[in-house]
Amino acid sequence: MRTQKISFIVSAFAAILLLALISSARVGPAYAIVNCKIVPVSGPPVANGVIIIRDGLIESLGTQDKVVIPEDAEVIKADGLHAYPGLIDAHTNFFIEPPKEEPGQRATAAVAAQPEEKNWAQDASLMAFDLLKPKKTVVDSLHMVGITTILVAAEKGIYAGQSVLLNVNGEKAEAMVIKNPVALHINFTTERGRYPSSLMGTMAFLRQSFLDTSHYSTHKSLFSSSSRGLKRPEYDPYLEALYPFAVEKRPVFFNCANLEDIKRASRLIKEFKLNSFLTGANEAWRVADLVKELNVPLLVSLDFKPPFTSIYVNQGEEMKKKAEEEIYPANAAHLHDQKVRFALTSLGLNKPSDMVKNIQKAIKAGLPREEALKAMTIVPAQLLGVGDILGSLEPGKIANIILTSGEIFDEKTKVERVFVDGISFKVKQPPKKAQPTTLDLTGKWKAAISGPMGELEVNLDIQQEVNAISGKISSDMGQWDITDGVLSGKELSFTISATIMDETIELTFNGTAEQDSIEGTISFEGGSAELKATRIPERSS
Amino acid sequence: MNRKIISLIVCLNLAVFSGISSGQDLLIKNGTVLTVTQGTILNGDVLILNGIIEKIGKDLKAPEGIKIVDAAGKYVMPGIIDSHTHIALSGTNETGDAITPEVNMRDVLHAESPSIYTALSGGVTMVHTMHGSGNPIGGENIVLKMKWGKTSEEMIVPQAYRTLKFALGENPKRASSFTIGTPRYPQSRMGVNAIIRREFLKAKNYMEQWDRYLKAKKSKKAAKNIVPPRKDLQMEQLADMIRGKMVARCHSYRADETLEFIKLSKEFGFKIACFEHVSEAFKITKELVEEGVGISIFLDSWAYKVEASEGIAYNAAYCTKKGVLVSINSDSGERIRRLFNDAAKSMKYGGLSADEALKLITINPAIQLGVEKIAGSLEVGKHGDVAIFNEHPLSAYTACQMTVVEGEIYFDRAQYLKEREEMEKKKKEEEKKKGEKK
Repeated sequence: MRTQKISFIVSAFAAILLLALISSARVGPAYAIVNCKIVPVSGPPVANGVIIIRDGLIESLGTQDKVVIPEDAEVIKADGLHAYPGLIDAHTNFFIEPPKEEPGQRATAAVAAQPEEKNWAQDASLMAFDLLKPKKTVVDSLHMVGITTILVAAEKGIYAGQSVLLNVNGEKAEAMVIKNPVALHINFTTERGRYPSSLMGTMAFLRQSFLDTSHYSTHKSLFSSSSRGLKRPEYDPYLEALYPFAVEKRPVFFNCANLEDIKRASRLIKEFKLNSFLTGANEAWRVADLVKELNVPLLVSLDFKPPFTSIYVNQGEEMKKKAEEEIYPANAAHLHDQKVRFALTSLGLNKPSDMVKNIQKAIKAGLPREEALKAMTIVPAQLLGVGDILGSLEPGKIANIILTSGEIFDEKTKVERVFVDGISFKVKQPPKKAQPTTLDLTGKWKAAISGPMGELEVNLDIQQEVNAISGKISSDMGQWDITDGVLSGKELSFTISATIMDETIELTFNGTAEQDSIEGTISFEGGSAELKATRIPERSS
Repeated sequence: MNRKIISLIVCLNLAVFSGISSGQDLLIKNGTVLTVTQGTILNGDVLILNGIIEKIGKDLKAPEGIKIVDAAGKYVMPGIIDSHTHIALSGTNETGDAITPEVNMRDVLHAESPSIYTALSGGVTMVHTMHGSGNPIGGENIVLKMKWGKTSEEMIVPQAYRTLKFALGENPKRASSFTIGTPRYPQSRMGVNAIIRREFLKAKNYMEQWDRYLKAKKSKKAAKNIVPPRKDLQMEQLADMIRGKMVARCHSYRADETLEFIKLSKEFGFKIACFEHVSEAFKITKELVEEGVGISIFLDSWAYKVEASEGIAYNAAYCTKKGVLVSINSDSGERIRRLFNDAAKSMKYGGLSADEALKLITINPAIQLGVEKIAGSLEVGKHGDVAIFNEHPLSAYTACQMTVVEGEIYFDRAQYLKEREEMEKKKKEEEKKKGEKK
């Protein structure tokens, strides 16, 4: 009888968790965000505003007296909060897992005067979409700083393949795609142990590949218009991949790590009449005239490390530090003064949180806050060709909305809630500084989780290192990891990544601990349960 | 911090480290003017207006308010020209292939390389900065003026020849073993010669292909769907060699391989401007003079490597006396500041006159680079590129005091030393303050 009871409880528990999972994966229901300060970016701010979201889009917005709240909408009270369009990071490498290189594949042992005819550093046909491995932790860290849309490109190679634009609405790659492919990405890098092994070789290689594509295209079009008496062009997958960019002039992104890279890119853009973007470009202000003359979209990185070629790194440590703290952060401000249009990106930074810190530095260095906001909303949306659906709060646009505790990019401001494609996400708050603790929870624990559906017995295996808690939780439903755990004084919190029917959902625990007991609440989307645990005494040997 | 203040700091810092002063008008007064080509003027003046030498003589009258440098007791000579170096570049060799004429040093200029300032400190105002010697056919080189603090484009000397680097002997033979790690053809001198020949044959074939295509295209009976040949950047460069639009600069040490390369140039009709290093040049002066090919060599470094084993200290002086156009090069970002010392050694080893010795680092390299109309000597109408020394530049006790490019002072030793002293003083004071706080 007891076994039966347990299995009933287990399945009831699973059902509730699954329900939570289903509701979070679907396009969100109708929401009414009420009593917030709306900063639409496309127009003046609205105090006491209401935003209605339906089917993933913004249905309407305006002052409280003008917008009718639909009956079916879930009302979200946003007293004192600011609503901004979700931030767009127009060049990142998030979610990318590069394909594993099979040993021995590289043609390093070629004993020849020249390497193989086709020696493509990386394939221009490489699709960032195919490499996507979205992770919850990354999604959370993006939401934490208010980023709802990212352009993702592979990082390495001269031809780094083609990028994809994603709405960070979960972890399912297909559901996230806004635009694919967006652009071909080119890095001014070199190959190891094969051509091109030098920067000058890379330039020649790029030129030759654009020339070859144009020749291939000429041959193909001549052949298709009049094929009699003409040898057919040999099918070339590499040139086929370049064709849309070299001939049809789809966008090409040049990643410019220093001012000479900007000049290199400008030469290629002019020689081959490419439709180009400059990205990175953290020395753009030093060649502002050239950038203005080129008149191409600029995606400026918030990475303020001076490149090793910079004059500022050869003048001692003090100067180098000053460059990173004061000189390079002023890039965006200088460009704004020069009336150059640009978007800001996190390219080169490790964590999204670094990006916010660096935006603050850029603002401190003279970039007006509203320009910084535009450079992460409407400008990248327009530059990437999605200005009609993203980048500002307007009826009919995608409901990418962030609710913040104060003015955006302010040091004290926190992102409280994020809507992506109208799906509501609670935002994890950055971990507080843990208080010292006298407890050591390391060991095995027996626990009961009780909720409306009954009681579930589980075993905990906890590891503690200073304040950090990790471990395993096991039950009849399987074994799950305990992550992100913090013990601050007696306050204990951790996350359980539960896998149910191949789907992962996160449960968060908050409670208090004593040396031999733990009590608290497990919460998840759509419900909660109580957890009580006691230590299993270790057998004395 | 306020942005304006930051920009000011940036400017000041640049100024401190580069010694840039503005203005392209300059009057250098009362120096011993070594024109190199037109004799020496005691207590002479050099007047530079808009970067060009306006007048050379005594007691020159200059426009009011012009910047004046007092060179009393000092020696004023044309800016030194280094015919062969690899400074101010991001990368030297394209090691991925033995044949790389398609690469161009113009694409990898590094205007912020401190080696430019080092060069200025030795009176150097112009360099021929080159692809390395790893490949039988290397890349296209470039001639730069040492305008420290200016952009890479502003440094390029458009009047100079387009030059392509070739390399014979040990370096291209061994390049693959210490660069890409796996052996690569060619591995012998005969291989180096053969691969260059093969590439020129390919280039001729390529040119014929294009000629045929262009002819066919013009013909009235031409088919509509005629496909142009593939544009090949390697072949385009070698075709430019054959067409005489570029000249060869060929790294070679031994007499035999040098003569073989001259044969190649005759076979394909390309021009050699200069051989590099040629320790055995003294053995083939007759051939070099006949072909009108110069040499750009080290003064020292005889017998420093296997293929230089028959090198002699007298190479520069002997070849000069035999009528070969000789220049002394640095091939280095450090030796570049002591080219005048090297030139002086040709007086000791071979007995060149002072003017002959100075020519090795001024007008001779200028001729080799095709810039003798604008540089290489102090003459009216040439660029105001000047180096000022405290002693005669060929004295062992000399040091360059000031270097001027197109009337602009880019290096001023006295000012630099003063600023360095102030900075060190300031630093010490700050450290002392920190110490007191602790």
